[in-house]
Amino acid sequence: MAGIVKPPGEFSITPHKVSVCILLQIYAPSVQISLPFPFASVAQHNRLGLFLLALTKSCDDILEPKLDELISQLREVFGVLNPRFVDHLTTRLSALSSPDDLFNFFTQMRRILGGPESCVLEDEQVILDPASNLGMFLRRCILAFNLLAFEGVCHLLTNIGVYCKEALSSCASYETTCFEDSSSNLEAFPEYENMDLENFVFKKVTEEIEARKRASERVSFHLHAPKALFDLVEDIEAPADPKSKHSDKVGEASPYVHPPNYALKEFEPNSGIFLRTNWQIQGYLQEQADALEKNGSSFSLNAFELILRQLHKLAPELHRVHFLRYLNSLCHDDYFAALENLHRYFDYSAGTEGIDFVPPASGSNSFGRYEIALLFLGMMHFQFGHPKQALEVLTEAVRVSQQLSNDTCLAYTLAAICNLLSEIGVSNTAGILGSSFSPLTSIGISLSVQQQLFVLLRGSLKRAESLKLKRLVASNHLAMAKFDLTHVQRPLVSFGPKASMKLRTCPTNVCKELRLSSHLISEFGFKSSTMTTDGAFSTAWLKNLQKPLGSAILSQENGSGSNENAFQFCVQPSSIPGSVLQLIGSSYLLRATAWELYGSAPLARINALVYATCFTDASSSSDAALAYVKLIQHLAVFRGYKEAFAALKIAEEKFLSVSKSRILILKLQLLHERALHRGHLKLAQQVCDELGVLASSVTGVDMELKTEASLRHARTLLAANQYSEAAAVAHSLFCMCYKFNLQVENATVLLLLAEVHKRSGNAVLGLPYALASLSFCQSFNLDLLKASATLTLAELWLSLGSNHAKRALSLIQGALPMILGHGGLELCARAYIAEAKCYLSDPSFSVSENSEVVLDPLSQASVELQVLEYHELAAETFYLMAIVFHKLGQLEEREEAANSFKKHMMALENPLDDEDPLFNVL
Amino acid sequence: MNSKESCRSELRIAIRQLSDRCLYSASKWAAEQLTGIEQDPANFTPSNTRFQWGSSSIRRRFRTNEITSTPIAGVSYVSTPVMEEDDAVDGDFYLLAKSYFDCREYRRAAHVLRDQTGKKSVFLRCYALYLAGEKRKEEEVIELEGPLGKSDSVNRELVSLERELSTLCKNGSIDPFGLYLYGLVLKEKGSENVARTVLVESVNSYPWNWNAWSELQSLCTTIDTLNSLNLNNHWMKDFFLASAYQEIRMHSESLAKYEYLQGTFGYSNYIQAQIAKAQYSLREFQQVETIFEELLRNDPYRVEDMDMYSNVLYANECSSALSYLAHRVFMTDKYRPESCCIIGNYYSLKGQHEKSVMYFRRALKLNKNYLSAWTLMGHEYIEMKNTPAAVDAYRRAIDINPCDYRAWYGLGQAYEMMGMPFYALHYFRKSVFLQPNDSRLWISMAHCYETDQLRMLEEAIKCYRRAANCNDREAIALHQLAKLQYELGRPEEAAFYYKKDLERMEAEEREGPNMVEALLYLATYYKTQKRFEEAEVYCTRLLDFTGPEKETAKSLLRGMRTTQSGFPSMNVEHFSP
Repeated sequence: MAGIVKPPGEFSITPHKVSVCILLQIYAPSVQISLPFPFASVAQHNRLGLFLLALTKSCDDILEPKLDELISQLREVFGVLNPRFVDHLTTRLSALSSPDDLFNFFTQMRRILGGPESCVLEDEQVILDPASNLGMFLRRCILAFNLLAFEGVCHLLTNIGVYCKEALSSCASYETTCFEDSSSNLEAFPEYENMDLENFVFKKVTEEIEARKRASERVSFHLHAPKALFDLVEDIEAPADPKSKHSDKVGEASPYVHPPNYALKEFEPNSGIFLRTNWQIQGYLQEQADALEKNGSSFSLNAFELILRQLHKLAPELHRVHFLRYLNSLCHDDYFAALENLHRYFDYSAGTEGIDFVPPASGSNSFGRYEIALLFLGMMHFQFGHPKQALEVLTEAVRVSQQLSNDTCLAYTLAAICNLLSEIGVSNTAGILGSSFSPLTSIGISLSVQQQLFVLLRGSLKRAESLKLKRLVASNHLAMAKFDLTHVQRPLVSFGPKASMKLRTCPTNVCKELRLSSHLISEFGFKSSTMTTDGAFSTAWLKNLQKPLGSAILSQENGSGSNENAFQFCVQPSSIPGSVLQLIGSSYLLRATAWELYGSAPLARINALVYATCFTDASSSSDAALAYVKLIQHLAVFRGYKEAFAALKIAEEKFLSVSKSRILILKLQLLHERALHRGHLKLAQQVCDELGVLASSVTGVDMELKTEASLRHARTLLAANQYSEAAAVAHSLFCMCYKFNLQVENATVLLLLAEVHKRSGNAVLGLPYALASLSFCQSFNLDLLKASATLTLAELWLSLGSNHAKRALSLIQGALPMILGHGGLELCARAYIAEAKCYLSDPSFSVSENSEVVLDPLSQASVELQVLEYHELAAETFYLMAIVFHKLGQLEEREEAANSFKKHMMALENPLDDEDPLFNVL
Repeated sequence: MNSKESCRSELRIAIRQLSDRCLYSASKWAAEQLTGIEQDPANFTPSNTRFQWGSSSIRRRFRTNEITSTPIAGVSYVSTPVMEEDDAVDGDFYLLAKSYFDCREYRRAAHVLRDQTGKKSVFLRCYALYLAGEKRKEEEVIELEGPLGKSDSVNRELVSLERELSTLCKNGSIDPFGLYLYGLVLKEKGSENVARTVLVESVNSYPWNWNAWSELQSLCTTIDTLNSLNLNNHWMKDFFLASAYQEIRMHSESLAKYEYLQGTFGYSNYIQAQIAKAQYSLREFQQVETIFEELLRNDPYRVEDMDMYSNVLYANECSSALSYLAHRVFMTDKYRPESCCIIGNYYSLKGQHEKSVMYFRRALKLNKNYLSAWTLMGHEYIEMKNTPAAVDAYRRAIDINPCDYRAWYGLGQAYEMMGMPFYALHYFRKSVFLQPNDSRLWISMAHCYETDQLRMLEEAIKCYRRAANCNDREAIALHQLAKLQYELGRPEEAAFYYKKDLERMEAEEREGPNMVEALLYLATYYKTQKRFEEAEVYCTRLLDFTGPEKETAKSLLRGMRTTQSGFPSMNVEHFSP
């Protein structure tokens, strides 16, 4: 920006590009060459074309391959049996020994381009269309060469020399260069061996010039070219800094992202290392950014940092490197490095760099886009769990983008604020979203956080729609759905006719929003952004070369694993960008969550399954883990713990890296449930404490997890019959939920309180809680929870005396369809038992007449409870069964039931710590 | 004085030896110090020195009489015996090589010496190769400018030089000059720890090579590394320490060292300039100006360090003196970064920022790592309201030296100008961290906290407090503190600070609107506190000023009198006009 730096050039000619040109000549020989290269088959010819395309487009690395790497790739493509390409390549390269050779070479290259006038086509002739990808590449090479000053040509020549020499002595020289540092070789070395390679070539060239008897004119290599020519020198030969030789931080190499030979490259001093084209490097950085987002902390910090450092050294004006550094440190929770790099990136680039940067339509904005810096800083603080600072920064971002009328940024900032407000429990924004925040002050009244959030969401959505930011619209719809799911919409203004107020959430709204958000995919179905797909495709193609033949993945997919098939396999690149897929995926996740809340187990499961099968590739690993968590939870509730734990093991292996987060929490939850059911209260308490610790990590408090932990704490206390303590915990939990407006959790807590009172024998006290919970469930459409509240209510009535049995029974029967349709094992069992109890306590009911009315549900319940290993309830069931059998006079069955009762009681009293392999893992 | 005498003789020999080895800047430095020593009027005749130096008999005499220096001010110095020359008479090849070297034909020089094995020849050959590599590197930097910025050219001789020198070092057949070169090569290659030990060894055995000292100094960026060096106690060490202290921003320590050195080297321009530098960092502009005036009288064609002088002149807004200086350096050497910087400063003072930027750019073209030019250019862009360019310039300055608090401060200012105070805070924080004793930085940071967008007044107060504690020259902090405290509804604190501010203004004999404001506040405050006597004192002082406050004071007095009429014990007649 300061004007010192000249605008970066696009393209420079390097030895590797010369190699590609030679190969291009093989692919499309010019008419003048009498003997075209003999290809074995048309397929082989096509393969060469594809290979060249991949070479020019792939973004799997920042550096151009060296000659030996290129040769080995050629061998991969065409088989070891076909060495002609390699021979041809090496002979042509080594034939380039003077500037004049290079000049002639590029003149020759010009001929293989088909001009518009050459319409006479022979059959066998392949004409390179100047507008095709390869044609463009060739044209750029020729142009770049023509722009070179004489110094540039000399450098190119020197570099080609190094390039060839390295390939010839690749293995042997490595050994020596590696141990050079130890300076152990005391053997005499020729004193002038060190007169660098340039001189070597220089000598060679002069000899040749002499040989050609052209020595009449004086050749000066330090030509004082005019300034203009200097500027045009675009060769970017950049030998590795010998400093890097001593860099001791060759971090653990991540096997799947970086080629393992990276460390090796670091050790070679003075070897010709060239960056790829700008386009390829940007593509590489983009891919790495995606990978960072996807894999999160499993991405190797040091290895990537090393690459970035090298890239920075080679291309100091490529500021995007700083951004990648920022992302890298962000993923590894390095606050200071992240902050430093973020500031550095935006100081340098002023937010006007990158692939996706669209220059402003009007020329008015020449002053950088620092508001984007604010947006990113806000997100960073959010990520690190500093909501207050994040809010401050984002507020500033809003102000600045309003000032500079950068509507796009404003829309994104508003969305970020919404996200912040909805994700983090902020009880009070007063003093943070202060006076300067225009959308709120324009209303002029103090609003609760939720109301502010709603206003913001609406504003942000509208803005995004008017700006046609499709992804933002979709994600705003998602946020809206989330809001609708958990918040009752109240009118913003508290005066006016209140008749229209209905205090319910609206599931249809949620569905509508979700549907709208996934419309996004149709927008992207047709036009694909060629940039990313081309690069990704080429990268994948080249990577497949490196895989051993018939690798596991391929053989799984399609039996035979030859290279041809590998090519077929990855030839269909998805035309939908990853970010869009991610958004749509999260809409499915949200659907699953919504159905979970509304109480439709099958729908929740199906949505989670859809996510797990269709979107795991595109999504971040933590999201994918969430889908698995949902599925496993479902298993636990409906199939018992054995299956759940089996599934958990699979998931743990799959998400090895993120096991710290969601999977770990899931494991704790499952362990807690099981411990409660089995009556291992100590274990339950221990697990519960662990959860509590996880809730308040370094990166801020996870409100959701915190509520869950204390909820579980209360339940553990309840199971231990410490009623007053349980009630106290539940009470404080209720206060917290109320403060942070966690309405859905409120319903659960109230139900728990009702449960506490029921168990402690204060049914009268429990009733209001159950009723309150019911009304909460009603207003939030939490159908399943409502059914379970109804069940509790019925149990409460029942415990008030046998004269309420009728009322209780009718309540239960009302809730049964919901419970049997969607409830888990425990809930169903409880309902059955309650129903049986109602019948039994009804004085007008006689067992002998209608025994199956009681026995059926009881035996059903006993089966389910045995699956769950819920000893307490199971014992109760068998007790009831025994009584019924006794009344019926079926002594044998009675004994059996009594035995089972005894067994469960024993198990409850002497908890066996037998097979708990999972807990040991903790 | 014996020690002066010994220094003098040591330096005389060293100059010969250094220039023999083509270490010209070191020999220049040594010669400057030599003439910086106070001449003993008794045995000083300009003729005798000139003639005696060349003859080898004199040299031998100095060598034989073992110099035992008298300790200055209780410090005992070790005497380092002057190095023996291995070949008293230079070979013919050496002479040829040296001539080539002097004509800057380095490779030729190296080639001539290819078969020589004497230590001196080996050194010169290696040094010539090193310089040849450096020259080629500079050329390549321009030739190879890549599409994404400057590519990283390296000195291609380093590898072979390191190999050779390390072998020599292992064999023990290396002299201090060879060690210096070895250290230089190691430093370039990035192995700083080895480089440091090698350089220490070099300066311990031959302390008069200032080049070696300055390389060593560039490797000591923290006080810990500096203290860990195992250096002989030679008087050259004091020069080194003084310069190293300055670099790690221990300005007063450095100043003390230089003043001590001035005892011996009373006429050294170098020391004077260094003292000026330290004083400049301590913001004693007046003294700096005097020093430079004297320096220019003694050494009118000096360009080194003159950019600092121009900074001082700029700060004092002496445009004519600045133009005179600019003219002088321009005539002396137009293509020195310092000259360009001075001219840039002149145009900046004249408000012609475009031209100023042009000259700073020229300075940067001459030396891309010229720190202050980047920062000053940033300032110019700020003046031109081109904030993105300013940000970029400052950021480049920071990348050259992350401890440059001015650049951090400039970045903060730039972002504050763009209406991003919260974002700017990060930069202000950085700058105050690096320079915690500069009140201006604290005041800017406080100002940032105070902006309408942030209104984080508590934090602002904390900053102003820091500013008030570190010698706030413009006396902004106290006044602002008082105002803020008042705004936050803490009248006692406000009164406290107003009173302090008032005392300060009285001490410095300044008057102005701030004085009036303070008096008025104090008067009303004491009146509400019912401490009428004090209130009356302030009111009467207010009467000396003209303006609406005078009337307010009168009415206050009147009001007090009516309230006080209920208190007969008070004597109010005293104040009646």
